Amino acid sequence: MSTVLKEPIKVIAVFDNGVKPVKFKWKGRVYPVKEITYAWTSKEGDSRIMHFSVSDGAALYEITYDSSALKWSLEGVQA
Amino acid sequence: MIVLHMDMNAFFASVEQRCNPALRGKPIAVIGSSKRTVVTTASYEARKFGVKTGMNKWEAKKKCPSLIFVIGDNRKYIDTSVRVLNILKDFSPKVEAYSIDEAFVDITGTDLLFGPPEEVARRIKERIREDTGLTCSIGIAPNKLLAKLASDMKKPDGLVIIREEDVSKLLNDLPVGELWGIGPRLTEHLSGLNVRTCGQLAAFPASVLRERFGIIGERLKLMGQGIYDSPIVPIGEEEAAKSVGHSTTLPKDIADKEVLKRYLLKLSEMVGARSRAHGLKGRKVSLTIRYGDFFTFTRQKGLEQPTNDTRVIYSLATDILGSIRLRSAVRLVGVTISDIAGGCRQLPLFEGERKRERLVNAVDLVNRHFGDFTLTWAALFEDDDPGPGVISPAWRPEGVKRVNVR
Repeated sequence: MSTVLKEPIKVIAVFDNGVKPVKFKWKGRVYPVKEITYAWTSKEGDSRIMHFSVSDGAALYEITYDSSALKWSLEGVQA
Repeated sequence: MIVLHMDMNAFFASVEQRCNPALRGKPIAVIGSSKRTVVTTASYEARKFGVKTGMNKWEAKKKCPSLIFVIGDNRKYIDTSVRVLNILKDFSPKVEAYSIDEAFVDITGTDLLFGPPEEVARRIKERIREDTGLTCSIGIAPNKLLAKLASDMKKPDGLVIIREEDVSKLLNDLPVGELWGIGPRLTEHLSGLNVRTCGQLAAFPASVLRERFGIIGERLKLMGQGIYDSPIVPIGEEEAAKSVGHSTTLPKDIADKEVLKRYLLKLSEMVGARSRAHGLKGRKVSLTIRYGDFFTFTRQKGLEQPTNDTRVIYSLATDILGSIRLRSAVRLVGVTISDIAGGCRQLPLFEGERKRERLVNAVDLVNRHFGDFTLTWAALFEDDDPGPGVISPAWRPEGVKRVNVR
């Protein structure tokens, strides 16, 4: 990611046989997730973090979901 | 035996190209950090220009002016590697993780379940492509040596089968350097004996090879014949770790020993924490130094009692550093404990030692729960982050060799 953000965001996601973010709200603006280009997981202590590389058609974003804290975060953006 | 060798194609670069569609079809090189370091993987588009693993950024850019550098994210690669290994485990219980992007699978006797070897390979490739979007090359042969040779023969997305009856014909004119385990130096030594092809190696007197190369001499002759009896070591059944170590390439070359000590403390903590998590202690502490010109050396010190205490490891590492007269600035430092004693321990006899052990255990517990370096040494607060670094070739998906990296 060219710009590191690590900012909390609000996400609408489908939890059905996995997790699929559908759209997210950052700084008052809603961004549609047009494509999940890649998904992977990592561990931070006991927490399982799900990472999604997503595109809104204009830019690429990395968003994460901490499945212990139930929190979404915008990790970075690549315009 | 039927061995399948799977090699992910330009692994790190391919993962980055999947992640970012704008990088697909373009020459890219994955590097460890923005400040410097070498190319860890180049995409096939970059390889066409001569960009290779191990080149520094400047050399790579000269070869390919349109090259795009991407800072690697090891967590992505480790997760993908584990997913791929899990796919392989669906086809055989005997899967050996050879590195982050290569594995051997014993598919002997799996034909009743999955069909002939070619069909197994096709299914594996399909599953990997479906799950990750990535391609791999697969080689199938009667042993690991020939399976690895086969997978190298067609890249990317290759499938090559070497059958027992084709081995001698295939190897006869094959340069010895093409064989797994015969590097440039050994190739040069063999060339000095007028041995340039596997056919010549196979016909060479074993006694001369033994005299020249010692214990591996006879093995070399067998390799020239395509004979290789090394077994597949399934994940989780690897031999016990002989050492636990970490190294880091510094953000810039450093000559000041006080600054180097901060890196030694961080590395000592990483070594100590990982050893403690797996109940391992070492009787020797080694310090590895690499100068800017890539000259590398290691010095070690012994202990009466084996340790995994960060403070003791750090103390010995700094003692070694103090005894070295650095001839130039340092590019890389590494700390390792070896001569491992697992499972046995001297109970602390004195209150001071017991308090120390309780403190270390409490810190480890917090860090295991909340993540590495949540609680750490005050001296590391001003840590100059050297970036995500490089995954060691010794990385394995389970056990003490599974290193947590960013």
